[in-house]
Amino acid sequence: MSKRKEHFDEDSAARRPVENLRIPSKLSADLNAIFQPRVEVPPEVDRAVMDRVHKHFAPLQTGKDRRLRIHWAWRIAAAAAIIIFAFSLDLTKQTGPATDRFSLSKAQAVDIDRNGRVDILDAFKLAKKIESAGNTETKWDINGDGLIDRSDVDVVALAAVSLDKGVL
Amino acid sequence: MTKITPIILAGICLIVPVLAQQSEQDYSTAQSGVRFAPLHIYIDSGNSSLAAYQFELKAAAGQIKIVGVEGGQHKAFKEAPYYDPAALANDRIIIAAFNTGRDLPTDRTRIATIHLQIIGDTEPQYELKLAVAADSDAKEIPAEITFEKGE
Repeated sequence: MSKRKEHFDEDSAARRPVENLRIPSKLSADLNAIFQPRVEVPPEVDRAVMDRVHKHFAPLQTGKDRRLRIHWAWRIAAAAAIIIFAFSLDLTKQTGPATDRFSLSKAQAVDIDRNGRVDILDAFKLAKKIESAGNTETKWDINGDGLIDRSDVDVVALAAVSLDKGVL
Repeated sequence: MTKITPIILAGICLIVPVLAQQSEQDYSTAQSGVRFAPLHIYIDSGNSSLAAYQFELKAAAGQIKIVGVEGGQHKAFKEAPYYDPAALANDRIIIAAFNTGRDLPTDRTRIATIHLQIIGDTEPQYELKLAVAADSDAKEIPAEITFEKGE
């Protein structure tokens, strides 16, 4: 037991120099004087700066104004989204009048010379029929306007040159 | 910060596609030379008078865009022929025309001129096929179709 106490005594003796490492108060004051920033902001200046900051950002802090700004921001974002959507649709591509499309599809079914294909000869033969006899057969009213004239021929001719017919 | 974020995002969404599109156009124009050239189409119907024709043209090699079509040399085919408007800005076109009159061309005649935009340095190759040629009685006639590159 006594040996153990001696051991502890030795430990406490060894620790003693560490405790002695405390910096003397004078040295601490001198070090502080050297390394501490010398510029001190007076409290009244600090307060004045903070007041100005508060004044500057005060409108942004008000709830109404804040809501208004967010509202506008979302409006702009929505407008941008609409514009982007419009761009993505590529409105520059022209699809042609709907009536033409309808007429073309109708003309594709009309094979004037019954040879199994619609080509320029169908339009040519129809034009000749109209010119020579003033053909009034209603079946040649391709565009359904009640008249048999050059516009019916044009519909057949446009069907003949349509790219939807296939490749070489 | 939450108020500015949508504005910034909207700005980016607007500007980026526009700039991308513009730079793409600039790049394609700068990278590959773009030029315009006409392509004259001729049909030789021999002794037969040519009253109607239809042919198809497409690019077999190279990059082209059809930008316009005009009529031919003879009075009978002076007017712009029939073609699908969808062929413009495309590399394939079907062209046709007819004339019911009596004054019709024979032998070799220029029936149409196609105006092309040629993109890149590769000289385009064309595939030209005559679908039909007919006389004034609408009877099919043998004919040869050729083209000449214009300047």
